[in-house]
Amino acid sequence: MIGRTRPVAALLWAALLGGPALLRAQDPMSRAFDLERRGSYAQAAELYRGILKDKPAEVTALLGLERALTPINRLSEILPAVQAAIAADPSASPVYAVGLRAYAAANLLDSLPRLVDLWARAAPGDETPFREWAAAALQRRDRSMARRAYQLGRERLGKTDALAAEIAQLAISEQDWITAVREWARAVRQLPGYRSSAIATLGPAPERSRPDILKALEKEEGTEPGRITVELRARWGDPLGALDALLKTLPPQPAQQLDALQGFLEQLRVESTPPYLLAQGRTLEEIADRWVGAPQRSRLRLESARAYAAAGDRPAARRMLTRIAGDSEGGPAVQAGATATLIDLLVREGKADEASTQLERYRTVLPVEDYLRLRRAVAARWGQSGEIGRAEALLAADSSVEAFALRGRFRLYAGDLKGASEMWATAGPFAGTREEATERSGLLALIQPIGPDTLLSFGAALRLFDGGDTLEAAKAFELVGRGLPADAGRSEVTLYAGRLYAMAGQSADAERVFRLVVSKDAPAASAAALLELGRLLLALDRREDATHALERMILDYPTSALVPQGRRLLDQARNVVPRT
Amino acid sequence: MKRRDFLGVVGAPLALGLGSPALRRLGALAWPWEASAAWLLVPMDDSQTDHLKAYGVTYRVLERGAKAEWFLNYRGGAFLLPGDAATTRDAALAGVACEPISDGQVTSIKAELGQGNMDAIPLEKPPKVAVYAPPNASPWDDAVTMVLDYAGIKFEKIWDPEVISKGLVKFDWLHLHHEDFTGQYSKFYLNYAGAPWLADMVARNQAVARQLGFPNVPADKRAVAQEIRAFVNRGGFLFAMCTATETLDLALASEHVDIAASYADGSPMDPDAARKMDWSQALAFQNAQLELSPNIPAFSDIDGHQVNSLDRRQPLGAFKLFNFSATIDPVATMLVQNHRDVIPDFYGLTTSFTRRTLKPSVTILADEPGAAWAKYIHGELGQGTWTFYGGHDPEDPQHQIGDPPTDLSLHPHSPGYRLILNNVLFPAAKKRELKT
Repeated sequence: MIGRTRPVAALLWAALLGGPALLRAQDPMSRAFDLERRGSYAQAAELYRGILKDKPAEVTALLGLERALTPINRLSEILPAVQAAIAADPSASPVYAVGLRAYAAANLLDSLPRLVDLWARAAPGDETPFREWAAAALQRRDRSMARRAYQLGRERLGKTDALAAEIAQLAISEQDWITAVREWARAVRQLPGYRSSAIATLGPAPERSRPDILKALEKEEGTEPGRITVELRARWGDPLGALDALLKTLPPQPAQQLDALQGFLEQLRVESTPPYLLAQGRTLEEIADRWVGAPQRSRLRLESARAYAAAGDRPAARRMLTRIAGDSEGGPAVQAGATATLIDLLVREGKADEASTQLERYRTVLPVEDYLRLRRAVAARWGQSGEIGRAEALLAADSSVEAFALRGRFRLYAGDLKGASEMWATAGPFAGTREEATERSGLLALIQPIGPDTLLSFGAALRLFDGGDTLEAAKAFELVGRGLPADAGRSEVTLYAGRLYAMAGQSADAERVFRLVVSKDAPAASAAALLELGRLLLALDRREDATHALERMILDYPTSALVPQGRRLLDQARNVVPRT
Repeated sequence: MKRRDFLGVVGAPLALGLGSPALRRLGALAWPWEASAAWLLVPMDDSQTDHLKAYGVTYRVLERGAKAEWFLNYRGGAFLLPGDAATTRDAALAGVACEPISDGQVTSIKAELGQGNMDAIPLEKPPKVAVYAPPNASPWDDAVTMVLDYAGIKFEKIWDPEVISKGLVKFDWLHLHHEDFTGQYSKFYLNYAGAPWLADMVARNQAVARQLGFPNVPADKRAVAQEIRAFVNRGGFLFAMCTATETLDLALASEHVDIAASYADGSPMDPDAARKMDWSQALAFQNAQLELSPNIPAFSDIDGHQVNSLDRRQPLGAFKLFNFSATIDPVATMLVQNHRDVIPDFYGLTTSFTRRTLKPSVTILADEPGAAWAKYIHGELGQGTWTFYGGHDPEDPQHQIGDPPTDLSLHPHSPGYRLILNNVLFPAAKKRELKT
């Protein structure tokens, strides 16, 4: 071991003793570079200076000197070397770039135009001198000097689109959107690769400026500004307008058209609101119409039909499904998908009987999961329309948690509060989506205080709500509440009715019902009602009334878990914190 | 209450020698509306549920004509409030934790105060608060107006016309924030040329200068600065933050020299201005070097952090509050009451104050240990006092123009904001004569 250590130690000693000697033996440039790497900037600078003394136009040494002087805040010392380098080789662009940075750092701003002038003469037609000048100005946050640099550059170069991207970004920093649009249009016409930068910088424009930006883009010639319009419209919540704009500016070649449409589709997929789903459906339809291979074309139409169905455009979904049916080369998977979508559509249209018939007819071609999902959808529709026995019978053999959750709802439709609670207890908290689980918890909390185990009117009211008639449901729940004893669910159900009135936009009824709930006998519901009342009044900008309701809630029900929410709303009502 | 009254009377009798055990905790925290008691103790240590609103509750007690006490260095600077229905209700609505206590318990606490670096300071009269701000100033862009609103402390906004027409006599406490008293629009004029907010600021300032008969905005702002100095001299309490601190003193010291860029007054800054400054007129600073470039949004080397000067900018650290003797130095002690003694720093156009430029008479209330600057300083002029606090927004350390407003309900325990509210309440204190 010792024997092996000695040669290593000897080598280390040699390295330590010999290192400086080795360093001395290197050429001055390598030594300077080494010193720079070790952080000995002052020594490195001296060496670079020495090199420049012999070879004033040695750009590598000049750049090294700049690097060495910058961290020790002595960049202005480079100026004599820069002047000597320019005198020795007036055509070397990097020397001027170093000079610009050095003059700016030394606060000798008056010298910059002269230096830029020299550089521009040395490199005619080059934008770099003006771009570097502006960069030095922007480094000092001097926008007006940057603007002067760009304008002078454009004049000297004699090109109306010179430095357009830079001017556009300067305009963005000053929120001058119209100038930015004009300059980005020039930039993308010159180099389409600028499009993503244009969209990235115009995208965050405030809402009030967006119509002007779109108008300004419409005035610009060429396809590239049109493509910016498409992406901005899609980003700003107008996907259908974006699609129309895209279809107007599609390139003539089919392959390029498909590229553009598919890129647009990807952009739409980030949102799942009806307008975006509708735009997805239309875009998929456009892609399918241009697609040559039949199986993929059918798959695209299927996807389009699903998007249309999800957006609520049933005729368009049916149109797609009909076209799939007419396409004999679609393949069994596509046919099965089309069948499932068609059944789904029938359910959404309220044609549950027809959906059930189709479901059983195509049972063998549908994947099992699709079949079970559609069967539950049919059952849900029957249950909601009052055919509870039929719905329950359809799900009798389904032991999934989703089926138990659905059966619980059927029990509730039938007014069987106890049965619903038991079914939902069996279904547990993971049946369906998170929103569905949360809604079930809310309903469980609502029926818990109700005295009787059976309450037919409750089921009828819930069916109205699930059927989409929120206002009638609110009225029905109010009646249900009125019929319950004060200590057995009256307040809770009436509060629920108030929330539905508010949801249906019936503020006066909501306010009346919330006020009805508040009583000493039901502290939990009263606190919740006062909070809802405060929220409602605040939304109506009746701040004083909202303040009164919220103060009452905090003072009368101090132990309520809702008090922190009440205090936050109270701060908003008093305008002492920003509204969020 | 003016400071001359504040210095006059012996107050806060201490009940000593009762020998009761320390009452650090009076049992579990109770919400005051659950019980009626002679007194409400508002703890300001970590058991407080909303430190900032506690100041508002105390202020409103004084507004109703009742008395309160400030227990310096006791449980983070606790307040003793009357246990009446109005106070109980107010604290409940504000979500301020209070502990109902009896006369006997108050006596025991006061006994404890006498045994350490603590004191009880009576609070008597709510100061009349003015905030100097242009009429269009956004309420969200000034830490003081934000916290006054959040705590529920009333204030009036005043600007150049009110100050020049001697309107300050109506007020006890004046706050200045990020105004530029050199009249150079915070030196944003060149860098933000074309920005609508800057155009509005310039037009508004030029109009008011003309309306008040001044040749230009720097002259108007200097006259305003001199009125503010006179306000302090007469016994007013001045609290300034951010760039108002530095520019107020620069304006006061530059009576006979042009320190404004040509875009502000038509003539360039005197290149020898630093030598010609009359620092005897300034409140806090002396011998500062002025920033000569109109392009750099910095005024002088008073600010230690130089946030807008790329090559001079210093990183943010944390500042530490000094510990003063509660009985000998009650004013300084009141100003540093807090449940934290080390607070993260935050930038402003003026973030800190270099020690080299501080006048010897200045009291440093907080500084960054080992750094060349102080954060929070205090001093006297004539019958009044001034306090300067560097930085823009204690809960938005990198504040940029156009940033969203700070929502103080998300920072109810902000130690940085507490320092502002200490300043609002301290003029309410009735002060015993100094022992030294």
